[in-house]
Amino acid sequence: MTDIFSGISQEVISGIALGSIYALIALGFTMIYKATEVVNFAQGDLMMVGAYVNFYFVSTFLSNSGEPSAWTFIVALTCSIIFSVLFGFFLDFIINRPLKDQPIFSVIMATLSLAIIMRALVAMIAGPIALMPISPFGGGSITFGTIVISILDLFIIGSAITLVVIFYFIFHYTKWGIAMQATSEDPIAAQLMGIPIKKIYALVWIFSALVATISGVLLAPRIALLDTTMGFLGLKAFPAAVLGGFGSIPGAIVGGVILGVIETISLGTLSFHFEWIKEINDIIAWFVLIAVLMVKPDGLFGVEKVKKV
Amino acid sequence: MKDRYEHENLYWIPILIIFVFLLPVILKGVTFSYKYYLFVLNLAGIYIILNVGLDLLSGFTGLVSLGHAAFLAVGAYTSAIMVDQLGVPFSLSLIFSPIIVGIFGFIIGFPALRISGMYLGLTTMGFGFIVKRIIISFRDWTQGSAGLEVSSPVLFGYTIKSDWDNYYLIYTFVIIAIVIGRRIATSKIGRSFMAIRDSEQAAEASGINLSQYKMLAFFISGLFAGFAGVLFAHTSSFISTDHFDILLSIYFIIMVLVGGASSIYGAVLGSLFIVLLDNLFVPLIEDQIQLIFNTQAGDIQSLIFGLIMFLFIIFQPMGLYGMWLKMRIYWKLFPFNPRQRFT
Repeated sequence: MTDIFSGISQEVISGIALGSIYALIALGFTMIYKATEVVNFAQGDLMMVGAYVNFYFVSTFLSNSGEPSAWTFIVALTCSIIFSVLFGFFLDFIINRPLKDQPIFSVIMATLSLAIIMRALVAMIAGPIALMPISPFGGGSITFGTIVISILDLFIIGSAITLVVIFYFIFHYTKWGIAMQATSEDPIAAQLMGIPIKKIYALVWIFSALVATISGVLLAPRIALLDTTMGFLGLKAFPAAVLGGFGSIPGAIVGGVILGVIETISLGTLSFHFEWIKEINDIIAWFVLIAVLMVKPDGLFGVEKVKKV
Repeated sequence: MKDRYEHENLYWIPILIIFVFLLPVILKGVTFSYKYYLFVLNLAGIYIILNVGLDLLSGFTGLVSLGHAAFLAVGAYTSAIMVDQLGVPFSLSLIFSPIIVGIFGFIIGFPALRISGMYLGLTTMGFGFIVKRIIISFRDWTQGSAGLEVSSPVLFGYTIKSDWDNYYLIYTFVIIAIVIGRRIATSKIGRSFMAIRDSEQAAEASGINLSQYKMLAFFISGLFAGFAGVLFAHTSSFISTDHFDILLSIYFIIMVLVGGASSIYGAVLGSLFIVLLDNLFVPLIEDQIQLIFNTQAGDIQSLIFGLIMFLFIIFQPMGLYGMWLKMRIYWKLFPFNPRQRFT
C-alpha cells in the first residue's frame, strides 16, 4: 500500500512540473487571447524556437569558454529573452496587424501556417538530428522520505508560479494591464479613451513570446532530446486552457497542473493496474478537452459569455 | 421559374469532362514519365473529393474542422477491413463505407451543436488524435502502426490495378462529387448552410433548424470523405496511420482556403494547385536547397505550404477562385475599368 502511495505522490510531483509547462504555454496564448481575441496556435512552436535559440547560445558560450558555469546559463537566457522580445515584436508586425479585422477562421489558419513555417525553418537550419540540451542543474535532486524531486522540476514549478503571479499582477493592477483589459473588451472604445492599442498589441505579443521562450528553456532539459516535435506539445496546452476556462490566467495554471497530473499518473501507476490506459495515455488530454466542452464549455474559471445578435 | 444554374455559362463543362478523360492519352503522347503524372493526379483527385466535402462543412457552414484526416482514415480502414477481412465486394463497400463515415461524422458533429469557432477546431483536432490512436489499438483488425495491405478494387469482374485504370475510376467519382457538391451548394441545404455561417441567430430566426443542418453538414462532409477514403485505400494498396497525420488535416484546410473557401470550384482548384505544387515543383527545388541546408524530406514542402497559406490569407483571402473572379470582371470591363476598384 505504501508502495502505491509513494508511487502516486512521486507522479503527482512530476505531473505538477509537467503541468507547469502546460500552464506557461497556456499563459502565453491566454494573454494574446485576452487582449486581441486572436488564438495563437503557434505558441508551442514559439516555445520550440525559444528552446533552440537558447541551445544555440549555450553551446556557443560553452565552445568559447569551455567549462559550464552558472553565468553561462544566465547570459544565454538573457540573450534568448532579448531575442524573444524582438521576435514577439516581429510577430505582432506580421500576424496581428494585417489580420486585425479578419474572421477568426483566417486568424487560426494564419497562426497554424506560422507554426508550420517556424517548424520547417528550424528543422532546416538546425539539421535533422535531435539535440541534447544540457540542464543547468545537472542531474541534481532532493529527497523527501521516499519521494525524489529533481531540482529542475522544482525550478520549473517555481518559475511557473512566479511568472503567473507577475502576469496576474500586471494584468489586474498596473495601468498597462488595465489598458490591455479595456482593449480586449472593446478596441474602439479603448482607442477613444486614449489607449494606444497598437502598442498594447505589440506588448502582448512580446509578453507571450517571452513566456514561450522561458517555458521552452525550462522544458528542453526535461524532455532530454530536443527536436521540432516539441512544438506539438504546445497543442496539449489547449485542453489545459479550456479545462481552466479559456482566457483566464488562474484557470490556465490550474488546468495545466490538473492535466499534467492526470497524464503522469495515467502513464505511471494506473497503467500497471489497467492495461487499456497504456493505449490512451497520449490522447487523454483530448478526451478531457471534449468532455469539458460538452459538459461545461466555460471551464473551471471561465466567465460565461453572452452572445450578442 | 428560374433555372438553378441560369446565371452560369455551362457550355465548357462537357468540354472539360472530355478533356479530363482524354488527359491520360495526351500525357502518354507528350511525356515518357506519364505514369508518375497520373499517380500525382490520382492523389489530387482523391483530395478533391474530400475537399469538396470539407468545403461544404468549413467554407459553407463555417464549422472549422481540423481533423479531416481522421474522416479519411476511418473511410480507408473501414473499406480495407470490409473488403479484405469480411469479404464484402468492393462495389458494396463503396456504398456502405461512406455511410459509416457519415455516421462517424454525426458523432463528431455532436459536440458542434454547443461549440463553435476555435473550440470546434480544437475538438475536431482532438478527434483526429483520438481516431488515430484507436485505429492503432485495434491491432487484430488494423495491424496497429505497421500498416495494412489493401487489395486492388474489383468492379464488375474487372480488377483495377494500374495508375491508368485508377485514374478513370477516381476521376469518374471526382466528376460525380463536383456535380453533387455544386448541386448541394445551390440548393436549399446549401443556402441554409451559408445562412448559418453568416449569422446563427438570423438563420434560426428565419426557420432554419440549426442542430439539424449542422449535423447534416457533418454527415455530408463525412460521406465525401468516406468516398475519398475508400478510393485512397484501394488505389494506394497500402495504408498506415502515418498517412493520416494532423499535418494532413491542416493541409486539407490549406487546400480549401488557398482555392477559395465557400466555392466548390475553389476547393477543386486548391487541391489541384497544392498537390501539383507538392509533387511536381517541390522536387525541382529540393535538390538545390539541400545543397545549402541539411534538410529532412518534409521540411521544404511544409515551409512552402506554410508560406503560400500565409501569403494567401493576408493578400488574397478569397483564394484562387476569387482571383479568377476578379480577373474575369477586369477583362469584361477591360478598356473602361475603374482603376481603384482592383488595387
